[in-house]
Amino acid sequence: MKQYHFLTLTALLAGVTLLSSCGDDDPEPVIVPPTESGLIEVDGGGAEYPNTAFIDLSKGTQTAVARESWDLAFATGSEFKVLINGTTGAMASATGETDINAVSAAGMTSADSAALVLSHTNPIGILHVDNPSDPLSSPIISAVSANDDNNEVYILSRGASAVDAKPLKKIRIIRNGEGYTLQHADADATEFSSVDISKDSDLNFVYFSFEDGIIDVEPGKAAWDIAWSAGTSTTPFPSAPNGTLAYFYQDLIFHNIYGGAAAVEVLEETIAYEAFIEGDAIGLSFNTTDRLSIGSNWRAGGGPNSAPVVKEDVYYVIKDAEENIYKVRFLSVTKDGERGKPSLEFELVSEE
Amino acid sequence: MRRFDLNKRFVIFSLLLLAMPFWTQAQTVLKGKVVDEKGDGIPHATIWLENGKGEVADEQGKFTLSQLPKDGKLKISAVGFETLWATWSAGKTSETFTLSSFTSDLKTVVVTGSFEPQSAKQSVYQVRTIGSEVIQNRAPSNIQEVLNTELGIRFSQDNALGSSNMELLGMSGQNVKILIDGIPMVGRQGTSNEININQIDINRIERVEIVEGPMSVVYGADALAGVINIITKSDDAEKFDLKARVQEETVGSEYSPFDGKGSHIRSATGSYRLKNWDFGASFSQNNFGGWKDEKTGRDYEWLPKDQNFLNLKAGWGNEYLNLEYQLDFLDETVFAYGPDARLEVLDQEFITSRWMHRLSGRWDSNTTFGLTWQGAFTDYTRDNETWVSNVRTGEHYQSQAPGANTTIDYNGFSWRMIGDWKIANSFKLQPGIDLNLEEGSGERITDNEGIQDYAVFLSGEWSPFPSIKIKPGLRKSWNSAYDAPALIPSLNTKFALNENLDLRVAYANGFRAPSIRELYFNFFDASHSITGNPDLKAETSNSFNGSLDWKTQLNPTWKISTVLGAFYNDVKDRIAYGQDPSDIQVTTLFNVERYKTAGFTLSHTESFKNLSANLGFSYIGRYNLLSEEQTVVPEMSWTPEVNTNLTYQILPWKTTATLFYKYTGALPGYETIADSDGNPSAKEIMLDGYYWMDISFKKDFGKHLSVNAGARNILDVRQISSTSEGGDAHGGGAQRPVGYGRSYFIGLTYQLNK
Repeated sequence: MKQYHFLTLTALLAGVTLLSSCGDDDPEPVIVPPTESGLIEVDGGGAEYPNTAFIDLSKGTQTAVARESWDLAFATGSEFKVLINGTTGAMASATGETDINAVSAAGMTSADSAALVLSHTNPIGILHVDNPSDPLSSPIISAVSANDDNNEVYILSRGASAVDAKPLKKIRIIRNGEGYTLQHADADATEFSSVDISKDSDLNFVYFSFEDGIIDVEPGKAAWDIAWSAGTSTTPFPSAPNGTLAYFYQDLIFHNIYGGAAAVEVLEETIAYEAFIEGDAIGLSFNTTDRLSIGSNWRAGGGPNSAPVVKEDVYYVIKDAEENIYKVRFLSVTKDGERGKPSLEFELVSEE
Repeated sequence: MRRFDLNKRFVIFSLLLLAMPFWTQAQTVLKGKVVDEKGDGIPHATIWLENGKGEVADEQGKFTLSQLPKDGKLKISAVGFETLWATWSAGKTSETFTLSSFTSDLKTVVVTGSFEPQSAKQSVYQVRTIGSEVIQNRAPSNIQEVLNTELGIRFSQDNALGSSNMELLGMSGQNVKILIDGIPMVGRQGTSNEININQIDINRIERVEIVEGPMSVVYGADALAGVINIITKSDDAEKFDLKARVQEETVGSEYSPFDGKGSHIRSATGSYRLKNWDFGASFSQNNFGGWKDEKTGRDYEWLPKDQNFLNLKAGWGNEYLNLEYQLDFLDETVFAYGPDARLEVLDQEFITSRWMHRLSGRWDSNTTFGLTWQGAFTDYTRDNETWVSNVRTGEHYQSQAPGANTTIDYNGFSWRMIGDWKIANSFKLQPGIDLNLEEGSGERITDNEGIQDYAVFLSGEWSPFPSIKIKPGLRKSWNSAYDAPALIPSLNTKFALNENLDLRVAYANGFRAPSIRELYFNFFDASHSITGNPDLKAETSNSFNGSLDWKTQLNPTWKISTVLGAFYNDVKDRIAYGQDPSDIQVTTLFNVERYKTAGFTLSHTESFKNLSANLGFSYIGRYNLLSEEQTVVPEMSWTPEVNTNLTYQILPWKTTATLFYKYTGALPGYETIADSDGNPSAKEIMLDGYYWMDISFKKDFGKHLSVNAGARNILDVRQISSTSEGGDAHGGGAQRPVGYGRSYFIGLTYQLNK
């Protein structure tokens, strides 16, 4: 097994620098021809993989954001849904209460606490996370009802997977016209705060941090195609409910299903990467609903005693929201032997 | 080891021999010969003269005397033979003496648990010996190839690390004490915990003694399942001894001559004796080219491994005192080649270096008291290096990423001293002290003060009648790091029911100490939160075993023996992983589990003229922990094993043919599965059984040269399947590696001595 050191200063700095740079979006859309090809060294931040890196193939750019910078993501579409932060291993439990002051950490049994730990020793963890493949389809926080009496208080673990554990929170979300109102407090507090959050149609989600309020995380709705991040995934596990264990995985690739990106895996033996042309994309069934269809499939290995490696026999074809078709292959899970710094190359699929 | 057959008289005889050329010439030479029942000379038989001096016969059993002792009285002895008191008839210039071999002994001499070499028949322990002849006939490239057809021994291969773990009679390798000449070995996890037994130079091994059942009174921690004592060569040349060995072996069907693919062994040993001194040096190289099988590119199924061994020794002895110092150095590199990659290829090298200094000796004050000591200092370092090759730029450099290069360092010091006090012929007392100090540091191991263990032990051997031996023992130890068991008792008894039948019954307490790793190892990353538990105490066991040993000689050329053994072990406070109650996210270790083993073994040996045949059967039960929760799960799961070996000597051709065969039965077990509601239930899982066969031939050319050739793993076993779905998120993997397919070897051994 590879051995991971604690967060290095450089990794932290890199995260911070990139965070501060993500407000630099060009306000005036200019028609720029899509980037033809490129090699991206993903800024995952290093061996402790502190970042989520959003990659826009047509611009050839990436945006790295610290995984623990946010806590809740509020959906901006017609639905009223709220996600917890799967990239830190966050988990939540419904309390059955609608009065946030009636809920306290002291009222939790040890089993309640144990259920909010993402670990292979907690087989029922899967019952306390957003669906990792399509979180909006079955979020752990029920869709926010127009009837306030239906909106329960949740106990939220902000995640302790490769980030420092923080105290539990209690939250309740109600509708506020076309937006949301979030009631939140530390789980043992007797008073709570309220914050109104409105939907922003330029984004897939409006992100909220208990410390920093509303913050920028994900670039604009279709301004990224794939993201590399550690996060909650699932793995078959016989002693878990339905044989599925919620499991924290450090090398996930999401594609932007809510922003119109589609992805499909292609075997080298079917069509070699170099030979793939636009016409070959016609017969492929692109996935638009499972953001983990690339997920962990791009790398192999990684047992207790072996380092994982990129799978050499597959590559991916990504169609962005503008219908640009890219072929993408991953090159490495490391940079100079350091994990959390994978690299990939991509190429706009030519017409012939 | 010479310290075990330290025999002060022997030293004197050797000295005499050296002096002989100066004073024999002028005198009448009396020529004698010592032979066995078949008339073959017995090499190195000892001829004792009545004044306490003596003579050692040569390779052919021949000896010369310058003058007759008073009344012509001689005493002649040799290992494995009844001692003969004889008279040299006056006036004869040549004489032949015939020794009869121990009727009930196949020449086996053992040292484990005793203080002087004694015949296996006399020992209160049931000791299984793999003798030098067996080892020579097999021409093994590592010790695993010697042990893997033994009953009750299973190896599991860790192909990620290029090492293997051993199980003895259903107990994991952590519970087996591995000794080199009685001195505990240090391995990856600290003293005697999961020792990689293949980090020993096979060319230095004289024989292996296996004692089943706890030996904790004498050997302390971890001798819970038993003890494997590896006895190294003593190189008892009269003047000098030179030996060279070259062996080439395929790895499955993969081979290239002398380098790269295949297994390549080279070894040279020399020893020299000068008056009271003797010196020895040996160097061995063991290069294993790895096994690719269906892997392509840079990947290996079994990792390549290079081993270099060096041994230097010096000994001094006189009538009362023998001292020996030995230095052993091991340098091992395991190459874990990362698979091909489009950009960055990562290779790992696991580099072990081990320095082991040993000082041992024996002092005889008089005929009633002797003192034996064994001390060792071991410095064990294991480096893990990561190397990066950039495919596109061609750069090759050592990674500087955090955690890419790590070092684990262990130091161990042990000192054991045993007095051997003969109070009366029927009563011996053996007091001893045992000091073990170890220190470990390295990646993920929290700073610690090391472990200091001080123990005293006392055992007595009482023989109220010649046919009965009773050996009670007690050990008391003090440990700086964990709660040592208060008092460890043992009781071994041996009853000679008649001349040919021995009964041994034993009870013992055993214990296994928590390792430095279990106490202090912490590991945190995305999916792991593991801590050691400095509050662990030792695992303890109650163990009962007994054996019936029947040996007889039907006629001078036909000997048979049968051993029936049974055992039961009940382990308490077994160390197992669990959730830390103060932080349920953390996995740590506790003394929680129970474990039991039970079983019996039956072994029958016939030796008829040039043929010797052995057939063994064992049936071993392993405890199912799940039986405590699930009533459908039986308490024990049972596994059979059958082994046989045949040795035939084709005398006119000076050739020995040997066949080893073992059937390792399927290993059942139970694991927990959950239904959709998360309710646990038990599921039976099965690890497949397999068959193993080795055949080898050894032919001697003249006196100095011998050739070995043969095939290992003739039945071409590679891996076995398990129906386990894997109890953890890593997945156990359905295939377990066992072997790398049928392999062929040829080797040359050249020996010159004088």
